Amino acid sequence: MREAASDATPAPRNVLVHAARTGDVRSFAALVDAYYARCLRFALHMLVNRSDAEEAVQDTFVRVHRALPTYVEREAFEPWLFRILANRCRSTGARERRRAEFIEYGDVPERPGATVHDSAIAWREEIGLALSALPEEQREAFLMRHVEDLSYEDMAVATGAGVSALKMRVKRACDALRARLTEVVRD
Amino acid sequence: MTDERDVVLDQILSALRPLPQVDDAAKARVLIAVAAERERDREQAARRLTRRARWRWSGAAVGLAAAALVAAALLRSPSEPAAAVAGASPSAPAVLSAPSGAQLAARNADAEAAVARQPVQLVFRAPAATTVRVVGDFNAWDAERAPMTRDAASGLWSVTLLLRPGRHVYAFVADDSVWVRDPRAAAAKDADFGRPGSVLLVGRP
Repeated sequence: MREAASDATPAPRNVLVHAARTGDVRSFAALVDAYYARCLRFALHMLVNRSDAEEAVQDTFVRVHRALPTYVEREAFEPWLFRILANRCRSTGARERRRAEFIEYGDVPERPGATVHDSAIAWREEIGLALSALPEEQREAFLMRHVEDLSYEDMAVATGAGVSALKMRVKRACDALRARLTEVVRD
Repeated sequence: MTDERDVVLDQILSALRPLPQVDDAAKARVLIAVAAERERDREQAARRLTRRARWRWSGAAVGLAAAALVAAALLRSPSEPAAAVAGASPSAPAVLSAPSGAQLAARNADAEAAVARQPVQLVFRAPAATTVRVVGDFNAWDAERAPMTRDAASGLWSVTLLLRPGRHVYAFVADDSVWVRDPRAAAAKDADFGRPGSVLLVGRP
C-alpha cells in the first residue's frame, strides 16, 4: 500500500516483534513489510498457484497477529512465522489435492508448461514441475534449507520434525531434483 | 550428511531464490483484515462491559432492597403489626432510592437514544480512480462494506453512512491499494497501523 514515506530509521526485527507483541500496530505493519515477499516466495514454490499463495500468506499474517500474545520471545521469530506459513500451505495443498481428485473428464487444469516462450521460462517451468513432483515434506524441507536459508535447528522448530529426519528429506529432495533436471541442463 | 552443492543445484537455486513481486494491495488486505479483527475484539469487549454493568446495576438494586428490608425489620416497633411495617416503614425511602425497573428501563432508553445513528455524507475527489471505498472504525475497517459512488461529471466519489454519535476515525482506499486520509477533515493521530486517517465527529440529533 502506498503512502507518505516515513523518515524513521528501520527498527531491528526483534524490537519490531516485541513492540508488535505488545499491541503496537505500526510495528506489526513493519513486520508484514519485512517478511511478506519471503513468505510469498515460499508459498509460491509450495502451492504453485499465485492466488492460493497470496491467500495463504495473508491468512498467515492474520494468524500471526492473533497468536502474537502467545509468542514466547526467547524463541526466534522466523521459524515461528514459517511454522504458521508451512501449516497453512499444507492445509491448502491438501485441499487442492482433494479437489484435483474430482476434476472430471474434459476439465483441463492449467499447466505451467503449456506454452514455452524462451529457454529461461522453460527452465523455470521445469524446476516448478520438478519441485511439485517432490513429496510435500521434501519440498518444504528443501525450500526452507536452501531457499529460505533456515538452519536445521530452526527448521525443526518450523516443522516439528527432528534434525536428522530433515537432513534426510533435504538430501532426497536434492537427489531427485538433480536427477530430473540434469538432463534439462545438458539439453 | 552434508548439503552437497553442485552446478545443477546452484542453477536450480538461482531460479528459485529471486523474491517475487509483491502487490501493495495484498499487504493492505492483511492490515485491513487485522484491523477488522481488532475492531471486532474491541466491540466484543465493549459488549461484555455493558453486560457486566447491567448485572452490577441489578445486583445493586437487589442488595439495596434487601438492606432496606433488614433495616425495616430492625427498626420495627414490637407493638406494630408486621403487615403495617411492610407497607409504611421508615425505611421505605431507602428502597425507593435504589434504581427501580422503570428507572433502569429509562436508562437503557437513554443509552439507545445516545447511539441513534445519524446520516453522514463523505465526499472524496479522485477523478482517476476506478474504485474508492471508505474504511473506518464504524465498519470494522472492512473495505467491502462501504464502496463509494462516482459522479462522472465532477470526478467526486461519495457515500452516505449512518453513524453513531461520537468520534470516528476513517480513511479512503482508492483502487484497493492507495490509502489516503480525507483532506477536508482533521488528521487522526491514532490511525490504525500508522496509515493516514481522518477524524469525523458526529453530533447527537
